[in-house]
Amino acid sequence: MDDLQLLRGMRSDVGSAPQATLARGRKQLLSRIDAGTGGGMPDGGSRRRRTVTRRVLLASAAAAVLVGGIVVADVVAPAGKPGATAEAAEVLNNAAAAAIKASDPVVKPGQYLKVDTRAVYSHQVSRSNGTTVAWLATQDSQLYVPADKSGEWVWNRTPRVPTTFFGQEAKAEYQNQEAFREKNPDPREPRLDGIFRGRAGAFYDSPPQIMGTPLLEAIRTLPRDPRKLLDLIYEKNGDKGQTPESQALTTIADSLRTGVIPADLRAAMYKAAALIPGVVVADKQATLDGRKGIALGIHWAEGKIRQDIIIDPGTGLMIGERMVSLAALDGIPANTAFGWTAVKTSVVDSAP
Amino acid sequence: MNTDRDIIRRSRDRPAEFAALYDRHASVIYRYAARRAGDFVADDVTSETFLVAFECLDSFDERREDARPWLFGIATNLLRRHHRAEARLLKAAARSAPREAGADSTEGIAAQVDAAAAMAKLAKCLKAMPAIDRDTLLLYAWADLSYEGIADAMGVPVGTVRSRLNRARRILRTGLGPEPLDETENEHGRLAAAPRDA
Repeated sequence: MDDLQLLRGMRSDVGSAPQATLARGRKQLLSRIDAGTGGGMPDGGSRRRRTVTRRVLLASAAAAVLVGGIVVADVVAPAGKPGATAEAAEVLNNAAAAAIKASDPVVKPGQYLKVDTRAVYSHQVSRSNGTTVAWLATQDSQLYVPADKSGEWVWNRTPRVPTTFFGQEAKAEYQNQEAFREKNPDPREPRLDGIFRGRAGAFYDSPPQIMGTPLLEAIRTLPRDPRKLLDLIYEKNGDKGQTPESQALTTIADSLRTGVIPADLRAAMYKAAALIPGVVVADKQATLDGRKGIALGIHWAEGKIRQDIIIDPGTGLMIGERMVSLAALDGIPANTAFGWTAVKTSVVDSAP
Repeated sequence: MNTDRDIIRRSRDRPAEFAALYDRHASVIYRYAARRAGDFVADDVTSETFLVAFECLDSFDERREDARPWLFGIATNLLRRHHRAEARLLKAAARSAPREAGADSTEGIAAQVDAAAAMAKLAKCLKAMPAIDRDTLLLYAWADLSYEGIADAMGVPVGTVRSRLNRARRILRTGLGPEPLDETENEHGRLAAAPRDA
């Protein structure tokens, strides 16, 4: 008998709920329903939904495991000048203009928009001796979106491989985990690589979402007015762990890295980013996955983390996004891109 | 079609429909809570779970058809308030062990003694492990959720569920030693030697 079988047997003699108990609970519920209360809990499920959204996003990169803090004062834009710094706003507004000018590639019937994504995830394992070890793993994927976006999408994900270990202990921990998993295969463990197919991008039981809205609907209906778009982003995000500003830029990064946001909405997102207080030009010569662009970032977690989006100023395309540690963070050294996604799009004639 | 999602959608306009979700899932939530913290707590947690669920309908992820991960997530949060009751149960179970399967056990009862000893060890391990690992493990083994379901219930990525489960299971296996628990006994020493905290 293995550990799980033993555990399943433990306290399995606990009986089912007495009918009277269930009836009483039902009555309580109905009287609450009748009372017509509908207010949400303060911390509600919004945070949970947010995490889920991030996870299910097509090329979800490093889901940060850190809880954000308050943005330090020196990264907030000077009073009376709402929005990003003038320099960052200029880059973003120029990128928006370039995005509209360099129109999207045309996908003819029978062809596919191919989105090549390289995603780097961080794994952090905290151990009972109080230490945390961390490593980065990379996963490449290709998403094929048919000309008729309501048709079948194809998503090819290659296995996730560890690419950077922060120290020998991290490597040993990873090897331990792998050895354990090999010895204890788990039939319920989901497949993370291989070819996935789904109508309108519904690879699991539902379509991908951005900002809590199914992707295709979001592309159709999100406001193209930057102020309205940003307000909607703030509203949808609600009160999340990060600051509202850093969360807003993260939402924009999450949306853009799907690779399927059309030029007009992309432009609106850049302009919306230009309205976010605290957005700065983080690096004029940023390199991500071998491509160069300008990194625009915002600090959070008391200035320990910066979320960047990296834009090719010439084409207005987003090269990718990254999360950078500015101080050592639970096993991750300072000044490390500990989660990033690089995105490339092209038009191809066939899908696997 | 009458999925959980359908019920939840309908109950936005006609709240009374929400009772159908209760009828469908209250008994499994009750049993899960009772296994973790006893009947008295289960009584409270079950009714509270559905009240909370009803009050935050918006927190249900509409991309899901099955509401169980959502409900178990709420129940798991509520159970945290009753950690003392759970700890008491586990402590009692850990103590109820007969002496370690001893030389004086006769053939007939040896197996029973072994099983009881294993349960006691399990209880001890469960009690000792971090709460998030215990939640993850029991959502898996007792609530029968998938990895995705646990990820939804706990609001963490699937990868995190995987590493928490691995860690929890290693704690179990280390604690259950030294008797080999499966066929791969020759490998057993390796696992037992693995860091407990990993």
